[in-house]
Amino acid sequence: MNGARRIHRRNLIVWQALLVLLALTTGSACLPLGGWNMVINLTIAGAKLLLVALFFMHLREAHGTVRLAAVVAVFMLLLLFGLSATDYRNRRIHPAPWQIPQQLPDQLSGRR
Amino acid sequence: MSAVLRLARQFSSPGQQAHAATLGMWVFLATELMFFGPLFFGYWYGRQTFPDAFAAASRRTDIVLGTVNTAILLTSSFLMATAVEAAALGGRRLARLALSGTAALGLAFLAIKGMEYRDEWQAHLWPAGSFVLDGGGRLFFIIYFAMTGLHALHLVIGICMVLAFALRERPPGQLRIAGLYWHFVDGMWIFLYPLLYLLERSG
Repeated sequence: MNGARRIHRRNLIVWQALLVLLALTTGSACLPLGGWNMVINLTIAGAKLLLVALFFMHLREAHGTVRLAAVVAVFMLLLLFGLSATDYRNRRIHPAPWQIPQQLPDQLSGRR
Repeated sequence: MSAVLRLARQFSSPGQQAHAATLGMWVFLATELMFFGPLFFGYWYGRQTFPDAFAAASRRTDIVLGTVNTAILLTSSFLMATAVEAAALGGRRLARLALSGTAALGLAFLAIKGMEYRDEWQAHLWPAGSFVLDGGGRLFFIIYFAMTGLHALHLVIGICMVLAFALRERPPGQLRIAGLYWHFVDGMWIFLYPLLYLLERSG
């Protein structure tokens, strides 16, 4: 039962680390750091997700194919974000004044 | 006597079957990530396009309840991990206790989320009808309700699943797969929390 105790203790430490990271992210959000707030928040979120994935989801001792599936998922998401972002960042919106479609007045008055 | 997983015909060994199940679940979770992805992208777009409106709208969310809920979910994940390890090592009682705790924390999360929704409804933050914020703020709350709603739906499914495991003894291998789903839902919240609750809180 010694192994069991060790593994439960490891999970306990991971849980404590997660709560410390939560306190850090909430605390740092209250400091006026400008753009760095979001950088810190996302870095901490990534660290929390990594802890959950490696220890709670057993990615650390997982088979190579399983790890590959996890990494490819994140990579694909970032790739799609990158492609979509290139589109949206380079879009120019030219607002045109609203106008009645040309054929509509004719139809409304019964003429063809 | 613990429940033992029957070997399906297409597998040559229990190890191979367990590996296939794990890989299958991870591939499913990858598709789930793609499911959440567009909402994250919509958030990014809104934040880029209406930075001030997003910050102002985010400050209308309840940071105390949001933080408590994050701690609750992280703890539920810890209990789920404990249950998985305990079941694998034959500790049926501990597994059952931890699973009940996981489900209870999941329900507590939903109850608190429901309170938040009620407060936001009363503050006219539901993005329809007599909504109080303009343009970008509306987009923020559309994304807020879509993301937290989708997450809550996943959590409801997760709670039903955890209860099914708590009430009837099932093979530890199956519990391990179910645990992956629970941790994934927790992982999504880990990102929702800073994005939705922590924008420009210093002002």
